[in-house]
Amino acid sequence: MGTVLQYLDQEPFRFLLSFGAILFLVLNLAAVLTMAERKTSAYIQLRYGPNRVGPRGLLQPAADVFKLFSKENLSPNSADRWIFLAAPIALFIPAAVVWLTVPFAPGAVVADLNIAVVFFIAVTSIGALGVIMAGYGSRSNFSLLGALRGAAQMISYEVPMLLSLLGVIMLAGSLSLVDIVNAQAGGFWRWYFLPQFPMFIAFYVAGLAEARRVPFDLPEGESEIVGGFMVEYSGMTWALIQAAEFASMALISAITATLFFGGWQPPIDALDL
Amino acid sequence: MLSEERRIESAALSGRAAGRLANPDVRDEFGLETMDMSMGPQHPAMHGLLRLILELDGETVVRCDPVMGYLHRSKEKISENRMYPAVIPITDRIDYMNNIAMEYGYVLAVEKLLDAEIPPRADAVRALMNEFGRIMSHIPSIGFLMLELGAFTPILYAFRERERIQNFFEAVTGARMMFHYIRIGGVKADLPEGMPEQMWEYIEGLEQRLQPDFVDLIEWNEIFISRTRGIGKITPEKAVEMGLTGVPLRCTGVPFDVRKHYPYGWYKNLDFDVITDEAGDVEASYRVRIGEVKQSIRMIKQILEDLPEGEVMADLGRRIRPDEGDGIGRVESARGEFAVHVVSDGSDTPYRVHYRTPCTVNMQLLQEIVPGHYLPDIMPIMGLIDPVSGAWDK
Repeated sequence: MGTVLQYLDQEPFRFLLSFGAILFLVLNLAAVLTMAERKTSAYIQLRYGPNRVGPRGLLQPAADVFKLFSKENLSPNSADRWIFLAAPIALFIPAAVVWLTVPFAPGAVVADLNIAVVFFIAVTSIGALGVIMAGYGSRSNFSLLGALRGAAQMISYEVPMLLSLLGVIMLAGSLSLVDIVNAQAGGFWRWYFLPQFPMFIAFYVAGLAEARRVPFDLPEGESEIVGGFMVEYSGMTWALIQAAEFASMALISAITATLFFGGWQPPIDALDL
Repeated sequence: MLSEERRIESAALSGRAAGRLANPDVRDEFGLETMDMSMGPQHPAMHGLLRLILELDGETVVRCDPVMGYLHRSKEKISENRMYPAVIPITDRIDYMNNIAMEYGYVLAVEKLLDAEIPPRADAVRALMNEFGRIMSHIPSIGFLMLELGAFTPILYAFRERERIQNFFEAVTGARMMFHYIRIGGVKADLPEGMPEQMWEYIEGLEQRLQPDFVDLIEWNEIFISRTRGIGKITPEKAVEMGLTGVPLRCTGVPFDVRKHYPYGWYKNLDFDVITDEAGDVEASYRVRIGEVKQSIRMIKQILEDLPEGEVMADLGRRIRPDEGDGIGRVESARGEFAVHVVSDGSDTPYRVHYRTPCTVNMQLLQEIVPGHYLPDIMPIMGLIDPVSGAWDK
């Protein structure tokens, strides 16, 4: 054991382990969030929501994942097979990789890049590629329409997202997320959402559009194009697309907290543990 | 004009190839062609089994051909081989969202053949259940419209109301959906004891719930307004020309209602307004539906206040065998004018039964108004017509 432990804080083991731990955390967070969303909307809509698996239905996400693992992975006959299968990967990797730069606590960051903001913008925009690949590779009219919508939406919201970050970068004088968090130390009145309030709103809205969540779920187009670019996916490939969506959703929240809400900083210094 | 109809017909029949040939010149300045797309019959927003053959230019619909027939169960032919009373369960299956009006139409036609006299209580109970049937159909229609615009909650609120009305129907008729309640000469059974009081209580509650649960939730919603205002606009002239009835006609401002203009049964004694709207778009159809629910509530209150006593079934003999001739029954169903033409040759079974369902006629709208709209606008337009699969495929 001792011989294994002494390698843990050396590269690349430290890198792989910490990144794996963060992914584990994020994907479990996705399960909790799905559960919360389903329960809350159920109570609004006069329903009970999931209440069969486990105590009060709490194990429903686990059961869902198990079901997805055991499902057959179908691909349409006329699909462009390689592109079709590569698309979920191309969607998931960018959403996961940006978590490398998110600082959780002083020193708790996988890679403290000095250009982390640029890295975040650059890598998230690769997601549009995955959407196009999924839509084109399925060779279905519905998928193609969904993919075109998705690409148009993600590319057009990229610009306001980038521009809304410029104020924060100027205030902090750095592109590193750790530096930006450190610059916001000293109480919630020094967090950037106050001086940058319109920018914060713009960033958050653009982020919702990036993550294709509800007011911006045109690429999914539930009622007319029935799932859009992911209509032909099933089993684990579909699960991977969903995981990518949840990872990017959590990512947008994490980046918003880092840039505008002081990251790990407490609202008042006295509350610092 | 005829050749245009032929074109659409042949395109609908042979699909892709005919569509291409019919529009050789649909290319834009970049030489890009349009895309053909088949929507349905297995599609969550197609109100059952409707197939739309679409020609898309980007997301703009250039051509829209509805193809019916995926739920064809030859109800007219089956009706010819059954004795007169046994046709009523068939009519139940035509418009399964508003079955009671379908029964009513057929029974009216046969009673006209027989020249039968109906007890007043039977007439009143028929009108009462018919108005409940209209509420039971209109409120989920609003819910479906919202569901297709992406709001999931209204449909569940709508089904809560439908569920409670279904409980009344279960108590009165013995069934929750396929009632077989209106019979030739009256109704199957009188209202159970205490039922009018329960109905009154429910109707009062619904009147109070309608505003907060539906109108306040929907009407001022920005997304609802921007996705329905001006979408699917029909002019009154066009609507009359196409023979539309029901909500799609009344939302253009034409105040035609069979209950008002050709009153039947107990409707002669009732005081109600024909709800119209000027706009003729999807938003107007929503307002007309809400208004009609309010009018139905008003009518139900009038019927319950003044419910005549007496028998609910006329004595027409054991065997129904009308003389040679024909009879027409016209009723206002939740979707428009439903008419039944029954021809008798003097035997036990009808010689011919024809069902004129509003859905089949109103469906013409799709060809006319969908081209020029975006693809997602098809959903609110379907909500405006609100067709039912069983009713357009007879």
